[in-house]
Amino acid sequence: MQSKNRKVPFRVISALLAILIATFLVFALSSGGDSSKGPIENAMANIGEFFNNMELKLNMRSRTNKRENKLTWLKPYFKDKNLVNHPGKVLLGVYDNETKENFESIVNLEDSLHTAFPLIHIFCAWGSKPEEKFPTTQVRNIIELGSIPVITWEPWLTDFTVNDIPGLRKAELRDKNGMKDVADGVYDTYIKQWAQSAKKVKRIMFLRFGHEMNDFFRYPWGPQNNSPKDFIMAWRHVHDLFVKEGVNNVVWIWSPHPAYEFKTFYPGDAYVDYVGVGVLNYGTIAPWSKWWSFKEIFGNHYELLASFKKPILITEFGSLIVGGNRAAWYADALDSLPQKYPMVKAIIFFHFSKDNTTTQQVLNWYIKDDREVTGAIIKAINGWKQ
Amino acid sequence: MSNQSSHRGKKSKDLWRFKEAKDVTALERFILLIFVITGIICILRFANWWFIKDNIGNVQLYILFSLAFWYSIFRLILIWINYLGIKKPPHKDALPGLSVAIFTTSSPGEPLAMFEKTLAACAKITYPHTTYLLDDTQKPEFKECAERNGAVWLELVGLPGAKAGKINAALELTKEDFILVLDPDHIPFPEFLDHTLGYFDDEQIGYVQVSQAYYNQYRSFTATGAAEQTYNFYGPTQMSLFGYGCNVAIGANCTFRRKALLSIGGHGIGLAEDLVTSIRLHAAGWKSIYNPVVVSRGLVPEDFGSFCKQQLKWSRGVFEITFAELPRLFRNLTGWQRLSYSTIGTYYLVGLTQLIFTLIPFLFFFTGILPARMEFADFIIYGMPVVICGVAIYLYVQRWVCDPQTEKGLHWRGMVLKFACWPVFFIGFLLALVNAEVPYIPTAKKAAIGFVSPFVRPLLIHIISFIITIIGVLIYRKYYMPESQLAMSAEKTWGMIGFASLAFIMSVGGVYAALEARKMKVEDPWDSVKI
Repeated sequence: MQSKNRKVPFRVISALLAILIATFLVFALSSGGDSSKGPIENAMANIGEFFNNMELKLNMRSRTNKRENKLTWLKPYFKDKNLVNHPGKVLLGVYDNETKENFESIVNLEDSLHTAFPLIHIFCAWGSKPEEKFPTTQVRNIIELGSIPVITWEPWLTDFTVNDIPGLRKAELRDKNGMKDVADGVYDTYIKQWAQSAKKVKRIMFLRFGHEMNDFFRYPWGPQNNSPKDFIMAWRHVHDLFVKEGVNNVVWIWSPHPAYEFKTFYPGDAYVDYVGVGVLNYGTIAPWSKWWSFKEIFGNHYELLASFKKPILITEFGSLIVGGNRAAWYADALDSLPQKYPMVKAIIFFHFSKDNTTTQQVLNWYIKDDREVTGAIIKAINGWKQ
Repeated sequence: MSNQSSHRGKKSKDLWRFKEAKDVTALERFILLIFVITGIICILRFANWWFIKDNIGNVQLYILFSLAFWYSIFRLILIWINYLGIKKPPHKDALPGLSVAIFTTSSPGEPLAMFEKTLAACAKITYPHTTYLLDDTQKPEFKECAERNGAVWLELVGLPGAKAGKINAALELTKEDFILVLDPDHIPFPEFLDHTLGYFDDEQIGYVQVSQAYYNQYRSFTATGAAEQTYNFYGPTQMSLFGYGCNVAIGANCTFRRKALLSIGGHGIGLAEDLVTSIRLHAAGWKSIYNPVVVSRGLVPEDFGSFCKQQLKWSRGVFEITFAELPRLFRNLTGWQRLSYSTIGTYYLVGLTQLIFTLIPFLFFFTGILPARMEFADFIIYGMPVVICGVAIYLYVQRWVCDPQTEKGLHWRGMVLKFACWPVFFIGFLLALVNAEVPYIPTAKKAAIGFVSPFVRPLLIHIISFIITIIGVLIYRKYYMPESQLAMSAEKTWGMIGFASLAFIMSVGGVYAALEARKMKVEDPWDSVKI
């Protein structure tokens, strides 16, 4: 009887100890992963990241003719959000569609314009596919090239799988009131994971979430599916999640379509750093379009856009060739721009060789080989007093 | 009998004792079933991820890559399912008074000393029998050797088919009801026939096959690897084939019923004559026994050249069966036999798939074309469980190898040899495709000393092009690749280098095996065997 009594505490203690160790192991494993990545996936991502960085540093070390050397003046901007919100000059940038594999096409355009763009713009969609994760590789390359990344972040909801986000509605039912779901936290795992990756960039990056949210005919996050209030709630929710995750290197671009009412979609001064606007002249390629001047597309809305007292970023800037004089359009648009529109602090060229996103036809926005256009742009920009 | 040399410190003395695979219990079968179900679930999960549209890179290459890859995975499933049928026949004592012949063949170039040992060992087999030496060396020493060891000498010159022709001619000259076909390099144990003859009391049994084991596997990397490739086959794999009524005759160590052989017009002739014979016997309705016992030990090729030559003959011969024999007899086989002969018949396609796996990285390095856009991390996460199940099952079934003490293990040398031999298998496939003969490549039973054989050349070419390509890639990345491309291409490039390294390591292993042959002992492996 006595020996039995002595055995009991030993057994209970062993059992408790085992549970304790097991609990510790569970904690260790869970903290090995991000909120939605498993520990193995996370460890492998980190190892991969480490080696890629090391390889890049090794390969770049001996090179002298680096692009970042042309952008040394931009260095103070990399960590200073206040400076980015009040830049000393107009920041130029580019989006190019042929950047899936590398940024060579951007370098080509820069050679044509005798410049190096401080901003490089890329587009990212929401979803479960690998290419819909945070674009770590592209962002790393943009930074390594000496520029600041600008990411347009499109909340397409149909690409998520139920595997990733349990309890989702059927894909075709997700768009209706989709922004309310975002605001309600349905997509939080995805947003958080993205935010954590953005935080790891550790340098300033522009983020343009849910652009042209006031256009009825374009994107599913527009007013045909969502009330302005739901959009604002979604914006604030996403913004707050980033803040909660400790992300302080993101500059928020709120980017409405200037041709439609947009004031009711404004999330508030505390949530927005820049006001973005697309300025694209489609010329006469479609029945709905005509040769509009820069003033007609942008200038007429400038007062209203400037009324938010936020710096303005022209997120897409370009003109097609059909229906007018393209070189003259660029010359007119850029001539004395800092003086005419002092709130415009950044312009991003829209350099898209095969644009089939708007019309049935494939449109070519490329200008790099059009000497007349590039000459006009160089001349106009050189004339800026800044 | 004893083998006095103890190579690499292994207990080679044990080799000359009777060994047998352990019995199969119901619990073990159940555990195996659980393993297999787990493995298949892992494979389904893997497939569900693999065949995602977004993973497709270049469509044509993706299809090619997927075919090669899933061919291998599909074979894995078949092997697992095969294991579920594992069975060991209960021992049956041989009835007294059966008339038994032992056939062993000699050909020009084969060393007499080896026959001394084999024939002496045959004489010591306890069950009453007559040993025949089927000889076409036209050398009197062979006749003397046979007579010295109490064997009947039959001179059979100018017959087609290395071995089978002589066997068929000898069938006409002899009368015994049961014929043990013994390879001349195999030294039988005295109890050999006691483990085969008993099963023939069932009139339907056409042949009884026993395991094939070796005594020279410690002499070189090639020998170890070649032997390793057979351990699981002569243990659990053949036992399982037996369970489904599909176990194959493997030429050596097979005891046939004369009536069965005569019913198919004699022993099959060809490069894979053993396989031809077993498929014909099965098609003719004969049943077969596989008894997983070690009752003889023989030689495995010691140098890379001989090994490759053997493999070339087999691959050519096996494809011949696939193209010629299998379609002809398909209707007469049982369902399981159809499946298993088709599986065996396509084994050497690994030469083709390995070619694809070897070329894909080079194509990427030179053109940038990728078959698939898979995330490496995902590949590991989905692929690793399949690998783990594969290894677990491979190791688990090793409880049924015939001699666990010497045969258990991961068998990595066997794997290296298998993948380093892909050019051989590929050539075998091509030869079969155009119905061409295997060219004459001289070799001997014992290790042929030499290095740059036609089999090593493709490996050397592969190794050199790999090294040059990788150095080229590294230099290009370091000095010439525009900085706008560096970071974006890093993951893909390094992933491919990693993938290409697997095949590279296999080729290096093959070349190592070939190099080793240069400093190999010249002494004959049978010198140290005492009967």
